[in-house]
Amino acid sequence: MRFFLSVILIALLSAAAEYFFPWWAVAVVAFVVSAFIRQKPGKSFLAGFSGIGMFWLTACLVHDSANGHILSARMAALFHLPNYVLFIVVTVFVGGLVGGLSAWAGALIRPKTD
Amino acid sequence: MIRHTQRRSPVWGWVLLILATMLVYILNKPVGSLPAIGKLLDPVNGCWASAEPVNKDFSADLKFPVTQNAKVWFDKRMVPHIHAENDHDLYFLEGYIHAYFRLWQMDMETRAAGGRVSEVIGEKALAYDRKQRRKGMVFGAENSLKAMEDDPRTKAMMDAYTEGINKYIASLNYREYPLEYKLIGFVPEPWTNMKTALLLKYMADDLTGSTDDMALTYLRDYLPKEEFDLLYPKRIDGATPVMPSGTVFDKPTLAIPAAPPDSIAFPHFKPADFGEKREDGKGSNNWAISGSRTASGAAILCNDPHLGLNLPSLWYEVQLQAPGMNVYGASLPGAPGVIIGFNDSLTWGMTNNYRDVKDFYLIKPVESDKNKYWFAGKQLDFSKRIERIGVKGQPDVIDTIDYTIHGPVTYETQNAKDGNLRKPLAMCWMGHKGTNELLAVYMLNRAKDYNQFVDAIMNFQCPAQNMAYADRAGNIAIWGQGQFVNEWKDQGRFVMNGTDSATLWKELIPMRENPHVLNPAQGYVSSANQVTTDSTYPYNYTNSGWVNLRAWRINQLLNGMQKATIEDMFKMQNDTYSDLAAGSLPVMLKVIYKPNFVGGDKYIETLKKWDYRLGAESEAATIFQVWWELLYRDTWKDRMGNVPGQVWPLQERTMQLLQLNVTAIGNVMTPEQKINAILCTKVSQSFAETVDSINKLEKTIGTDWYKVKNTTVQHLAKLPAFSFDHLKIGGWGNTINAAKGDHGPSWRMVVQMGKEIEAYGVYPGGQSGNPGSKYYADFLHQWVDGKYNKLDFLPNTDKQNDTAIKYVWTVHG
Repeated sequence: MRFFLSVILIALLSAAAEYFFPWWAVAVVAFVVSAFIRQKPGKSFLAGFSGIGMFWLTACLVHDSANGHILSARMAALFHLPNYVLFIVVTVFVGGLVGGLSAWAGALIRPKTD
Repeated sequence: MIRHTQRRSPVWGWVLLILATMLVYILNKPVGSLPAIGKLLDPVNGCWASAEPVNKDFSADLKFPVTQNAKVWFDKRMVPHIHAENDHDLYFLEGYIHAYFRLWQMDMETRAAGGRVSEVIGEKALAYDRKQRRKGMVFGAENSLKAMEDDPRTKAMMDAYTEGINKYIASLNYREYPLEYKLIGFVPEPWTNMKTALLLKYMADDLTGSTDDMALTYLRDYLPKEEFDLLYPKRIDGATPVMPSGTVFDKPTLAIPAAPPDSIAFPHFKPADFGEKREDGKGSNNWAISGSRTASGAAILCNDPHLGLNLPSLWYEVQLQAPGMNVYGASLPGAPGVIIGFNDSLTWGMTNNYRDVKDFYLIKPVESDKNKYWFAGKQLDFSKRIERIGVKGQPDVIDTIDYTIHGPVTYETQNAKDGNLRKPLAMCWMGHKGTNELLAVYMLNRAKDYNQFVDAIMNFQCPAQNMAYADRAGNIAIWGQGQFVNEWKDQGRFVMNGTDSATLWKELIPMRENPHVLNPAQGYVSSANQVTTDSTYPYNYTNSGWVNLRAWRINQLLNGMQKATIEDMFKMQNDTYSDLAAGSLPVMLKVIYKPNFVGGDKYIETLKKWDYRLGAESEAATIFQVWWELLYRDTWKDRMGNVPGQVWPLQERTMQLLQLNVTAIGNVMTPEQKINAILCTKVSQSFAETVDSINKLEKTIGTDWYKVKNTTVQHLAKLPAFSFDHLKIGGWGNTINAAKGDHGPSWRMVVQMGKEIEAYGVYPGGQSGNPGSKYYADFLHQWVDGKYNKLDFLPNTDKQNDTAIKYVWTVHG
């Protein structure tokens, strides 16, 4: 339960934060959420990775489907990737990694509540 | 549980926190030429924000600082039709819309014009920026800005236009920046009227920038006079000038100056002084056919200016409506108005005129005082102009440029790498003068008849253009328009002696005395960068790059046309018939020395069956072009040795010399016959090389002409991912459809000025500058295929019911 709660909170709060702050707000959100929701550090990493990853994946897919892959295909070519799917994968992976690492750090530094 | 608690040691937490922070830091920082990856990939604010929905509804209700309500109708190709109640609102909206669709391009082009590229991409652009500053681009733009702001019409036009652009820029945050800003890592800055002035100078420089003065100065010493005149004739045999032969020119109001003695006029250079590379290819076509020779009885005007092929495209289609004006055509994002197009009374087109308006003077510095130079027996002070060039990540670079009575010293002994000619040369360029081409645009857009057209173009001073004209009354005309100097014979053809007042530019020729013709007996007018007049034109002028092959073909086709239709015009603009091939290949096949056929027989057979058309998939076109290039190079490289700038005789001149076909060998040969003999020998040698090249092509990319020539429409930041290469289009610089490697017909337009105006156009790009938009390059394939868009010329009213309209902006004050 804690895991799913973390994932959903991270996804939703970072989505909200990004509309007001620069992109690295997602790292702050993942860190803070896992600092407050107690979990094993490994699970926190997964929660951070999934939370930001899900949010970024959703955002990419919303943009990309409305855009008919025009931008993603050109960006993929720019980064020498074979197709637009890989550009989405790279985007989601980068977001996930940032979220995961931040959440992991949060879980380890979290304030002592017990 | 215990292990769990231990693992949750805060030390590891801090380590991870540092790691995470470092990751974010790295992803938020550009590395080398790579953008900040995290910032770029961010799906909310990064590149994904440029993914424009294909069904985006552009309609909007907007509140702007306009004085009266206005409307903008976007048709299905996203061409805006702007309707305003006054000039301010009109140009405000044009500025806003240019910025909305093309902001990054406008920013980059004005940076390129004024030498401010290093500010955003760093040191690698420094040499380019310095070159721009040293040739006086900013100096010229400042002078023109003053001229434009001195006229109340152009001042108001520019002010409103700038206001519109800035309104758009002010509405942006990082998320909405054009993609390229995020990729390169800089931000938009406010627009100024100076930027518009710089953009117009950019065009002037593009069209009058190349020079062969230095190379010709060398060649006239290197070659015997007879041979020099033979290879570099001022008017090639058989030239068909822009003004039809027989055109009667007015008596000149100015006395034609006498040339000073050669020893005073021109200095001499040695081969070791050189190293400049030559550019060519900015040719264009335009023609107008009188109603007496068209099927509909209405005059037709056609234009296709050949310029650099880039994305976002140089041009942006727009219709502008205000009281007393309804105009449609190609605009330049960065400048207000319509540059090439038509209004409800008349239509006009432009090609580059190529009359020389840029001269060089050899400066003699005073040896004992670096701040002075010799002129007319006196020591004059250089006036110093300081150019401060910003460089990303580094301190500014300060460049001090010496200005002389002639102009800026662009080439200096101590700056050989900037100029290649290791002599201090000052440049005297019409583009340095304060000219107001924008006033010409303003007046052209509103002109109602021929007289108003002429009044308008009297303000078009630099770059000199052949302005073709047609109106609804069936009149056609053409002007060789620009501001020119009353020259003595050969003035400015070579580098001039900068110490003598005899070489100074004399008074300006009144522009109404420029060559022109109205309704000539031949029933058409045309220009394709050939010489402007025959030798009966009273004033002297020199050439900086006249070519003839396209002009011959155009005139040949127009001569035979009695009932011209719009379809005929489409066909003509896409014509790939090569006069060069038709004139040279039969001779080449005749004089080739048989034993060299080994392995090449099949190519000879292919060539024998060829129709001289440089079709996209033609193998014969490839064989001929390769053979001709090799023949041309082998001949002149050997003959001229290390000629600076490879200013070799024109291709058509080379063709003529080949055609002489001397049979009697052994007698004393004239220089012409000697060169003919050399060319004939080189035919066989170059064919052997051609066989090698074609064999290699067969094994690699294939021999289709389009694959070999590789016409590319390149993104302005040279990003291949945003560019299109190997376009399947025929033609070359010597055919009407002049699609070369990176240059070509940048805006094909055909307008029939009947009771109903019927207009068609296409350019190799799309209305949006955003690589994430479906409108980014949606006209490109039509352009490649020679297809056209019908241009929706809406009536000048505030309500429209045209079915082509897709989106509407309702603008409130």
